[in-house]
Amino acid sequence: MKQIANTIKSNIFNLKMLSLVALAGFIFSCEDNVLPEANSIEDLTPPSAMFSATESNGDWQTFDFSNQSVSSTTYAWTFGDGSTSTSKEPSHTYAVEGIYNVSLTSSDANGLTSTFSSDLEVIEPLVPVILLPEILEASFEDGMLDGGSGDGRDSWRSDLGGVIQITSSPTNTGSQAAKFPSGGDRAAYQELEVSPNQDYVLEYWYTMKTSGTGHMTVSVLAGGGHSDPSSAVAATIETFEGTDQSSSNDYVKVELPFNSGNNTTVSIYMFNAGVESRVDDVSLRLP
Amino acid sequence: MRSDNTETKSNEGEAAQFESFTIESTNGIVADYYRSYYNVIFRANLVLDKLELATPENKAAFAAEAKFLRAYAYFNLVRLFGDVPLVDGLISPLDTETAFTRVSSSLVYDLIVSDLQDAVANLSDGGANDQASKAAAEGILAKVYLTLGRYSEAQSLLESIMSPSRGFSLENDFKDVFYNEGNNEVLFAIGYAPSSNDDSQNFSAEWLNAVGRTSGVNYVSMDAKAFLDANGGNRTALSYREDAAQAGKYQVVKYLPNGDAALGIPVTSSDPTSAGNDWVVLRYSDILLMHVEAIMAGGASTSSSNAIASFQTVRNRAGLTDTVSSISKQELADERRVELAFENHRFFDLVRLGLAQDVLSAFSAANGLGYSTTDLLLPIPSIEIGLSNGLLTQNPGY
Repeated sequence: MKQIANTIKSNIFNLKMLSLVALAGFIFSCEDNVLPEANSIEDLTPPSAMFSATESNGDWQTFDFSNQSVSSTTYAWTFGDGSTSTSKEPSHTYAVEGIYNVSLTSSDANGLTSTFSSDLEVIEPLVPVILLPEILEASFEDGMLDGGSGDGRDSWRSDLGGVIQITSSPTNTGSQAAKFPSGGDRAAYQELEVSPNQDYVLEYWYTMKTSGTGHMTVSVLAGGGHSDPSSAVAATIETFEGTDQSSSNDYVKVELPFNSGNNTTVSIYMFNAGVESRVDDVSLRLP
Repeated sequence: MRSDNTETKSNEGEAAQFESFTIESTNGIVADYYRSYYNVIFRANLVLDKLELATPENKAAFAAEAKFLRAYAYFNLVRLFGDVPLVDGLISPLDTETAFTRVSSSLVYDLIVSDLQDAVANLSDGGANDQASKAAAEGILAKVYLTLGRYSEAQSLLESIMSPSRGFSLENDFKDVFYNEGNNEVLFAIGYAPSSNDDSQNFSAEWLNAVGRTSGVNYVSMDAKAFLDANGGNRTALSYREDAAQAGKYQVVKYLPNGDAALGIPVTSSDPTSAGNDWVVLRYSDILLMHVEAIMAGGASTSSSNAIASFQTVRNRAGLTDTVSSISKQELADERRVELAFENHRFFDLVRLGLAQDVLSAFSAANGLGYSTTDLLLPIPSIEIGLSNGLLTQNPGY
């Protein structure tokens, strides 16, 4: 047992000796490197400073700097607002908007330096505005357009059908509403400029005569420029086919939620079939 | 592996340079990747050059397939290496100027976009999903557009793929995405045939431990394991498993060649080192999550109902049916991390979403790794620089 312990001890001793030798070797080789000896060659790759800056995620005032310098070991940054850093890859927060001249001086251990500077624009991003377009002649009243013009349906004309008629009774509010005769050959159409991928709710009121069968349909179409009924229907985002014939006098409210999708323009398209129908008080709101 | 998701089991060797962000320009895996992708590009260029040999009715489709693969190769190269030599036709061995001159990545992207647009126009759906198709080209082009910040164009392509008439959908069982090949979720895969000398793969085995002569070059990081445990839903059990031979180490289970009886995963190859597991490049849940990204359009969040519908579809399949009312960029990145874990998306996602600096520097600091911003690009292989006679320049930081 004792013998084994001794062996272990002597092994430990050997290990220490080994590491001493290794250490000594390291010191000698260091000295070799420090002294400029014969056969040493000129440093052909002097430092070259370069950086890029990217806005930090979710914080427009803070920038992360990417150090792309070559052959350099120490770095001195000035951020153009009086602040400095000696980190390799600092990030820096600017207090106010502005254009800052950022400069990086990269040095190597021979004392050679290289400087690169670049203007950095720090600007607060605009908050996206959600468009809520006004629907023209939304209540089909006279004189609603610029300068008191408009017959209540000028904004609703299109090639998708004959122009709608105007009724004075019954209306939901005011003195006029849109009328779609039972022939079903009329259409109301209006294009709206919207924010893409935004949720909206289109509201309107409608009523239908009690006799006959048919529908009063209101659709939201993707894009604008629609002039052909079948391609217009193919572009439908959302639609509501109204069939409430319980009273020819009392208007029923419809809320039609839709998402504008990948469009900056959507169109309202109203048409009926079979039954004389009326629409009044169209409006658009956010959900 | 150059992310917070995976590491080697032994943490050493060339493969481990990726996880520690200490890749050398002499790294053989990088050189192999670079050369393999230029070989793909060469073959695509060869097909395009010899198109007159094809029968007239096949010409357009053959050209489109070649362009799809060329674009896919350049898309990977430009994201990994930055500016790269742009070879868009057959060149002679003496044309070293073309072979070794790095051109601006914007010009590389121009070729990628025009190749993929041609592919979209001239390919159709309905073939095997390891062959270029219209949907695959649309999906890759959508990702290119997202990378370039062209969100509206990306959204149009994605909604084209999402149209019900195209027939793509999520598999009900997450496992079937990987073990029921030819399913409706996978839009494009690199196809492999088991036990075939020419068409099998051995990465499935290389990732495992002691399967053949392998030592585990793609193990799950503890960070990713914890993240999957917290956020994966029913995907967690089908994403990683504990190494039976080494407790506390975790393996990817999406591409097992030798099955897992406990998980109900069949043996796919009698010889696991000649595995037939396909490498999934593009699948429908990626399309749905890209749809969210396109609608978010570079913003910090979205509450658009269309985005939420796509997001919710992916989460519902995972058994995470709680209602979402808005999606932040972080939540999108997190969902992509668990849904697409170990499918070679994480690094690209972090870069594309502008999260790479935050996430990788924090991960590196927490684990004592060597990340700096110049690690976002791989080194140009030193052997290529040597061959170029000084024409090919190195990326900063190498």
